[in-house]
Amino acid sequence: MEIGQSAYDFQLPGVDGKTYSLKDFADKPVLVLFFWCNHCPYVKAYEDRVIQLANEFKDRVAFVAINSNDPTQYPEDSFENMQRIAQEKAYPFPYLFDETQSVARAYKASRTPEFFVFDEERDLKYHGRFDDNWEHPNQVRHEYVRDAIRSLLENDIPHVSHVPPIGCTIKWKH
Amino acid sequence: MRIELLYYPECPSHERALELLRDALALEGIDAPIEVIRIDTQQEAEQYRFVGSPTIRIDGREVQPQPHLPYRLTCRAFLHEDGRLSPLPSLQTLRAALRNPSTEGGDEDGNRSIGV
Repeated sequence: MEIGQSAYDFQLPGVDGKTYSLKDFADKPVLVLFFWCNHCPYVKAYEDRVIQLANEFKDRVAFVAINSNDPTQYPEDSFENMQRIAQEKAYPFPYLFDETQSVARAYKASRTPEFFVFDEERDLKYHGRFDDNWEHPNQVRHEYVRDAIRSLLENDIPHVSHVPPIGCTIKWKH
Repeated sequence: MRIELLYYPECPSHERALELLRDALALEGIDAPIEVIRIDTQQEAEQYRFVGSPTIRIDGREVQPQPHLPYRLTCRAFLHEDGRLSPLPSLQTLRAALRNPSTEGGDEDGNRSIGV
Protein backbone atom coordinates (compact mmCIF):
# COMPACT_ATOMS: atom_id res chain seq x y z
CA MET A 1 0.00 0.00 0.00
CA GLU A 2 1.39 3.40 -0.98
CA ILE A 3 1.61 6.50 1.16
CA GLY A 4 -1.43 8.69 0.44
CA GLN A 5 -3.76 5.81 -0.42
CA SER A 6 -7.05 5.49 1.42
CA ALA A 7 -7.67 2.82 4.01
CA TYR A 8 -9.53 -0.24 2.74
CA ASP A 9 -12.69 -1.02 4.61
CA PHE A 10 -13.24 -4.41 6.20
CA GLN A 11 -15.64 -6.33 8.33
CA LEU A 12 -13.79 -8.51 10.80
CA PRO A 13 -14.70 -10.27 14.03
CA GLY A 14 -12.98 -9.13 17.18
CA VAL A 15 -12.04 -11.16 20.22
CA ASP A 16 -14.81 -9.35 22.13
CA GLY A 17 -17.52 -10.87 19.92
CA LYS A 18 -18.22 -7.69 17.95
CA THR A 19 -17.71 -7.14 14.23
CA TYR A 20 -15.61 -4.13 13.29
CA SER A 21 -15.28 -1.93 10.21
CA LEU A 22 -13.64 1.44 9.59
CA LYS A 23 -16.71 3.38 10.66
CA ASP A 24 -16.29 2.06 14.19
CA PHE A 25 -13.18 4.22 14.52
CA ALA A 26 -14.53 7.32 12.77
CA ASP A 27 -14.61 9.35 15.99
CA LYS A 28 -10.80 9.37 16.25
CA PRO A 29 -8.64 11.70 14.14
CA VAL A 30 -5.88 9.12 13.78
CA LEU A 31 -6.11 5.41 13.03
CA VAL A 32 -3.24 3.00 13.70
CA LEU A 33 -3.96 -0.30 12.05
CA PHE A 34 -1.38 -2.99 12.61
CA PHE A 35 -0.89 -6.60 11.60
CA TRP A 36 -0.26 -8.70 14.65
CA CYS A 37 -0.33 -12.32 15.78
CA ASN A 38 0.24 -14.51 18.81
CA HIS A 39 3.29 -16.58 17.95
CA CYS A 40 5.85 -14.14 16.53
CA PRO A 41 8.66 -13.18 18.94
CA TYR A 42 8.89 -9.73 17.35
CA VAL A 43 5.26 -9.15 18.26
CA LYS A 44 6.12 -10.25 21.79
CA ALA A 45 9.09 -7.88 21.84
CA TYR A 46 6.81 -4.98 20.96
CA GLU A 47 3.68 -6.00 22.84
CA ASP A 48 4.17 -3.87 25.95
CA ARG A 49 5.32 -0.86 23.93
CA VAL A 50 2.24 -0.95 21.72
CA ILE A 51 -0.09 -1.38 24.69
CA GLN A 52 1.57 1.57 26.40
CA LEU A 53 1.24 3.79 23.33
CA ALA A 54 -2.40 2.79 22.79
CA ASN A 55 -3.24 3.63 26.39
CA GLU A 56 -1.37 6.92 26.14
CA PHE A 57 -3.34 8.07 23.09
CA LYS A 58 -6.62 6.28 23.76
CA ASP A 59 -8.70 9.45 23.63
CA ARG A 60 -7.55 10.60 20.19
CA VAL A 61 -6.12 7.61 18.34
CA ALA A 62 -7.80 4.35 17.39
CA PHE A 63 -5.48 1.33 17.55
CA VAL A 64 -6.65 -1.81 15.75
CA ALA A 65 -4.75 -5.10 15.69
CA ILE A 66 -5.39 -7.65 12.93
CA ASN A 67 -4.22 -11.26 12.87
CA SER A 68 -4.15 -12.69 9.34
CA ASN A 69 -2.01 -15.77 9.98
CA ASP A 70 -3.23 -19.20 8.97
CA PRO A 71 -4.06 -20.97 12.25
CA THR A 72 -4.09 -24.39 10.64
CA GLN A 73 -0.34 -24.14 10.17
CA TYR A 74 0.21 -22.03 13.29
CA PRO A 75 -2.29 -23.13 15.95
CA GLU A 76 -0.96 -20.53 18.40
CA ASP A 77 -2.58 -17.94 16.11
CA SER A 78 -6.10 -19.35 16.44
CA PHE A 79 -9.02 -17.11 17.37
CA GLU A 80 -9.27 -18.82 20.76
CA ASN A 81 -5.64 -18.02 21.50
CA MET A 82 -6.21 -14.44 20.31
CA GLN A 83 -9.00 -14.16 22.88
CA ARG A 84 -6.82 -15.64 25.61
CA ILE A 85 -3.85 -13.36 24.94
CA ALA A 86 -5.97 -10.22 24.56
CA GLN A 87 -7.48 -10.95 27.94
CA GLU A 88 -4.20 -11.88 29.64
CA LYS A 89 -2.45 -8.76 28.38
CA ALA A 90 -5.53 -6.53 28.71
CA TYR A 91 -5.21 -5.28 25.14
CA PRO A 92 -6.63 -1.74 25.06
CA PHE A 93 -7.52 -2.13 21.36
CA PRO A 94 -9.74 -4.41 19.27
CA TYR A 95 -7.95 -7.57 18.15
CA LEU A 96 -9.49 -8.77 14.87
CA PHE A 97 -9.26 -12.04 12.99
CA ASP A 98 -8.73 -11.85 9.21
CA GLU A 99 -9.55 -15.48 8.53
CA THR A 100 -9.69 -15.14 4.73
CA GLN A 101 -6.47 -13.07 4.71
CA SER A 102 -8.21 -10.63 2.35
CA VAL A 103 -7.44 -7.61 4.55
CA ALA A 104 -3.73 -8.42 4.71
CA ARG A 105 -3.72 -8.79 0.94
CA ALA A 106 -5.61 -5.52 0.43
CA TYR A 107 -3.12 -3.66 2.59
CA LYS A 108 -0.20 -5.58 1.01
CA ALA A 109 0.98 -6.42 4.50
CA SER A 110 3.81 -8.91 4.74
CA ARG A 111 4.99 -9.00 8.35
CA THR A 112 3.94 -9.07 11.94
CA PRO A 113 4.17 -6.54 13.41
CA GLU A 114 3.54 -4.05 10.59
CA PHE A 115 1.99 -0.64 11.20
CA PHE A 116 -0.20 1.62 9.05
CA VAL A 117 -0.98 5.10 10.38
CA PHE A 118 -3.87 7.01 8.78
CA ASP A 119 -4.94 10.64 9.12
CA GLU A 120 -8.45 11.94 9.71
CA GLU A 121 -9.40 11.39 6.06
CA ARG A 122 -8.01 7.88 6.45
CA ASP A 123 -5.19 8.45 4.02
CA LEU A 124 -2.02 6.52 4.76
CA LYS A 125 0.70 8.72 6.26
CA TYR A 126 3.12 6.21 7.76
CA HIS A 127 3.83 2.56 7.04
CA GLY A 128 6.39 0.23 8.56
CA ARG A 129 8.01 -0.65 11.85
CA PHE A 130 7.14 0.63 15.29
CA ASP A 131 10.54 2.03 16.24
CA ASP A 132 14.21 1.52 15.50
CA ASN A 133 15.17 -0.98 18.19
CA TRP A 134 13.14 -4.12 18.78
CA GLU A 135 15.85 -5.59 20.95
CA HIS A 136 16.45 -2.86 23.52
CA PRO A 137 13.47 -0.61 24.35
CA ASN A 138 15.72 1.68 26.38
CA GLN A 139 17.97 2.28 23.37
CA VAL A 140 15.26 3.41 20.94
CA ARG A 141 16.21 6.60 19.13
CA HIS A 142 13.34 6.93 16.66
CA GLU A 143 9.75 6.14 17.59
CA TYR A 144 8.25 6.11 14.12
CA VAL A 145 4.63 5.36 15.02
CA ARG A 146 4.60 7.75 17.97
CA ASP A 147 6.16 10.50 15.86
CA ALA A 148 3.63 9.95 13.07
CA ILE A 149 0.75 10.15 15.56
CA ARG A 150 2.11 13.35 17.08
CA SER A 151 2.56 14.95 13.68
CA LEU A 152 -0.96 14.07 12.56
CA LEU A 153 -2.50 15.30 15.80
CA GLU A 154 -0.74 18.60 15.16
CA ASN A 155 -2.05 18.67 11.58
CA ASP A 156 1.46 18.15 10.31
CA ILE A 157 2.92 15.57 7.94
CA PRO A 158 5.09 12.87 9.54
CA HIS A 159 8.78 13.46 8.85
CA VAL A 160 9.24 9.76 8.14
CA SER A 161 6.58 8.05 6.04
CA HIS A 162 8.06 4.59 5.54
CA VAL A 163 10.54 2.31 7.27
CA PRO A 164 10.49 -1.36 6.20
CA PRO A 165 8.70 -3.49 8.80
CA ILE A 166 10.73 -5.99 10.79
CA GLY A 167 9.25 -9.22 12.10
CA CYS A 168 7.85 -12.58 11.09
CA THR A 169 6.30 -13.12 7.70
CA ILE A 170 2.52 -13.37 7.54
CA LYS A 171 1.67 -17.05 7.33
CA TRP A 172 -0.36 -17.39 4.16
CA LYS A 173 -2.70 -20.27 3.46
CA HIS A 174 -1.44 -22.71 0.84
CA MET B 1 32.73 -29.18 19.89
CA ARG B 2 30.15 -29.04 17.11
CA ILE B 3 28.26 -25.76 16.92
CA GLU B 4 25.35 -25.34 14.52
CA LEU B 5 23.24 -22.30 13.73
CA LEU B 6 20.23 -23.04 11.56
CA TYR B 7 18.19 -20.20 10.14
CA TYR B 8 15.24 -19.33 7.94
CA PRO B 9 16.23 -16.34 5.79
CA GLU B 10 12.78 -14.70 5.98
CA CYS B 11 13.27 -14.29 9.71
CA PRO B 12 15.54 -11.30 10.32
CA SER B 13 17.16 -12.47 13.57
CA HIS B 14 19.87 -14.77 12.22
CA GLU B 15 22.63 -12.22 11.66
CA ARG B 16 22.28 -10.91 15.18
CA ALA B 17 22.11 -14.50 16.44
CA LEU B 18 25.42 -15.26 14.75
CA GLU B 19 26.99 -12.18 16.36
CA LEU B 20 25.70 -13.24 19.77
CA LEU B 21 27.00 -16.75 19.30
CA ARG B 22 30.44 -15.45 18.33
CA ASP B 23 30.41 -13.19 21.40
CA ALA B 24 29.53 -16.14 23.62
CA LEU B 25 32.31 -18.27 22.14
CA ALA B 26 34.84 -15.47 22.67
CA LEU B 27 33.73 -14.91 26.26
CA GLU B 28 34.01 -18.63 26.99
CA GLY B 29 37.40 -18.83 25.29
CA ILE B 30 36.23 -21.45 22.83
CA ASP B 31 37.79 -21.59 19.40
CA ALA B 32 35.43 -23.67 17.30
CA PRO B 33 33.83 -23.17 13.90
CA ILE B 34 30.15 -22.40 13.57
CA GLU B 35 28.28 -24.46 11.02
CA VAL B 36 25.65 -22.18 9.49
CA ILE B 37 22.77 -24.03 7.84
CA ARG B 38 20.08 -22.29 5.80
CA ILE B 39 16.58 -23.76 5.92
CA ASP B 40 14.34 -22.85 2.99
CA THR B 41 11.64 -25.50 2.79
CA GLN B 42 9.29 -27.38 5.08
CA GLN B 43 11.01 -30.58 3.99
CA GLU B 44 14.34 -29.21 5.18
CA ALA B 45 12.73 -28.02 8.43
CA GLU B 46 11.63 -31.58 9.13
CA GLN B 47 14.92 -33.07 8.00
CA TYR B 48 16.89 -30.81 10.33
CA ARG B 49 14.34 -30.84 13.20
CA PHE B 50 14.00 -27.10 12.82
CA VAL B 51 11.32 -25.50 15.02
CA GLY B 52 12.13 -21.94 14.06
CA SER B 53 14.81 -19.41 13.36
CA PRO B 54 17.36 -19.25 14.81
CA THR B 55 18.01 -22.78 16.06
CA ILE B 56 21.35 -23.17 17.80
CA ARG B 57 22.75 -26.54 18.81
CA ILE B 58 25.90 -27.38 20.74
CA ASP B 59 26.99 -30.96 20.14
CA GLY B 60 23.50 -31.67 18.83
CA ARG B 61 21.66 -30.21 21.81
CA GLU B 62 19.42 -27.17 21.70
CA VAL B 63 20.53 -24.15 23.71
CA GLN B 64 16.92 -23.70 24.83
CA PRO B 65 14.71 -26.70 24.09
CA GLN B 66 11.15 -26.14 22.94
CA PRO B 67 9.55 -29.59 22.93
CA HIS B 68 5.99 -28.66 22.01
CA LEU B 69 6.78 -26.81 18.78
CA PRO B 70 6.39 -28.43 15.35
CA TYR B 71 9.05 -28.25 12.67
CA ARG B 72 8.30 -25.15 10.61
CA LEU B 73 9.49 -22.04 8.81
CA THR B 74 9.13 -19.11 11.16
CA CYS B 75 10.90 -17.08 13.81
CA ARG B 76 11.09 -18.60 17.26
CA ALA B 77 10.88 -17.07 20.70
CA PHE B 78 13.40 -17.49 23.49
CA LEU B 79 12.66 -16.94 27.14
CA HIS B 80 15.11 -14.60 28.84
CA GLU B 81 16.16 -14.56 32.46
CA ASP B 82 14.01 -11.49 33.13
CA GLY B 83 10.89 -13.30 31.87
CA ARG B 84 10.54 -11.57 28.52
CA LEU B 85 10.27 -13.35 25.19
CA SER B 86 12.74 -12.42 22.47
CA PRO B 87 13.59 -13.48 18.91
CA LEU B 88 17.10 -14.25 20.22
CA PRO B 89 18.52 -16.31 23.06
CA SER B 90 20.25 -14.33 25.78
CA LEU B 91 24.03 -14.21 25.95
CA GLN B 92 23.79 -15.97 29.32
CA THR B 93 21.81 -18.83 27.78
CA LEU B 94 24.41 -19.26 25.04
CA ARG B 95 27.34 -19.13 27.48
CA ALA B 96 25.69 -21.66 29.78
CA ALA B 97 25.06 -24.01 26.87
CA LEU B 98 28.69 -23.71 25.77
CA ARG B 99 30.00 -24.36 29.29
CA ASN B 100 27.83 -27.43 29.77
CA PRO B 101 26.99 -28.85 26.36
CA SER B 102 26.01 -32.23 27.77
CA THR B 103 23.61 -30.92 30.39
CA GLU B 104 22.14 -27.72 29.02
CA GLY B 105 19.39 -27.83 26.47
CA GLY B 106 17.44 -30.81 25.33
CA ASP B 107 18.26 -34.21 24.07
CA GLU B 108 19.50 -34.80 20.60
CA ASP B 109 16.08 -35.31 19.19
CA GLY B 110 14.53 -32.64 20.80
CA ASN B 111 14.50 -29.15 20.33
CA ARG B 112 12.02 -28.04 22.65
CA SER B 113 10.62 -26.26 25.82
CA ILE B 114 9.12 -22.86 25.67
CA GLY B 115 7.48 -20.89 22.98
CA VAL B 116 4.52 -18.80 22.08
